[in-house]
Amino acid sequence: MKPSVAQLENLLALKRHEGPGEEYWQGFLSEFHQRQQEPAEVGSGLMNVFGQIGTWFADLGPSKWVYAAGLAYTTVTVAWILIPKDLMLEAAPLTPVNYKVVPAPAPKNEHPAPVDLSSST
Amino acid sequence: MRAREGDTSAFDALILKYGDKLYGLVYNMTSHKEDAHDLLQEIFVRAYQSLGSFRGNSTFYTWIYRIAVNQTLNFLKKRNRRTDLSLNDLDSSVQQDPALIDTTQEDDRERQTQLNELQTKLNEALMKLSHPHRMVVTMFDIQGMSHAEIAKVLKASEGTIRSRLHYAHLHLQSALQESWKERF
Repeated sequence: MKPSVAQLENLLALKRHEGPGEEYWQGFLSEFHQRQQEPAEVGSGLMNVFGQIGTWFADLGPSKWVYAAGLAYTTVTVAWILIPKDLMLEAAPLTPVNYKVVPAPAPKNEHPAPVDLSSST
Repeated sequence: MRAREGDTSAFDALILKYGDKLYGLVYNMTSHKEDAHDLLQEIFVRAYQSLGSFRGNSTFYTWIYRIAVNQTLNFLKKRNRRTDLSLNDLDSSVQQDPALIDTTQEDDRERQTQLNELQTKLNEALMKLSHPHRMVVTMFDIQGMSHAEIAKVLKASEGTIRSRLHYAHLHLQSALQESWKERF
């Protein structure tokens, strides 16, 4: 037989009492203070800004994809506006539909030798 | 406020105040003591460095809990990519408060043993849930948060939370079917 939902919830609630003792937290705080005193990661101010942006983005919920799509759209639009038009390659001229094909003159052929059809054996 | 102004002892007090709850979240999600310890250190370091961005739009507990949830999920994604970690490395044993265990009577000792086995099965079943489902079970059933609180932290609707819980409960009930005895 299966436990009911209420029985399952009671069983899970027992796990609420699982946890480390008070002495754990003293050691935890000591280690935390050591980590605080460690030198900050080497990096320029710009890297820190990127890091904070990354953190902000990761902390967004599902809406982060809306922000990402908007940013991509904005980037493409700005690039389209800023790229000088004369840098764009001109398309090769297309062959007009009514282009007349003039075949090259056929090479002159020498008159072939006459075929001897008589039986000669 | 004092913590935000650089008062480290004030932040220590916050660690002691919320540490147990966050430990419960992280340990029940990772089921690995060393990972839980390292991850909890990273969570508090991140929270300390980000204190300036806490604007008071939510309670401090909600804010730091959200950091803990995101860090834990990121950690689990990376851990899942590791090929050297197996289910055997995870801790499925029971860590109960000794004060709750009454072993004076033989029947109670036998019952306690069966309960411990059941808890072990439950831990194994929890680790087989997906991260989002394990997260809502941890927050609702183990930590006693309400649907509304969970929805706020996870930035999801209450309907989504209820749906995940329902699926997770069905899964756990099936996992415990063989071990469950009527006397429980």
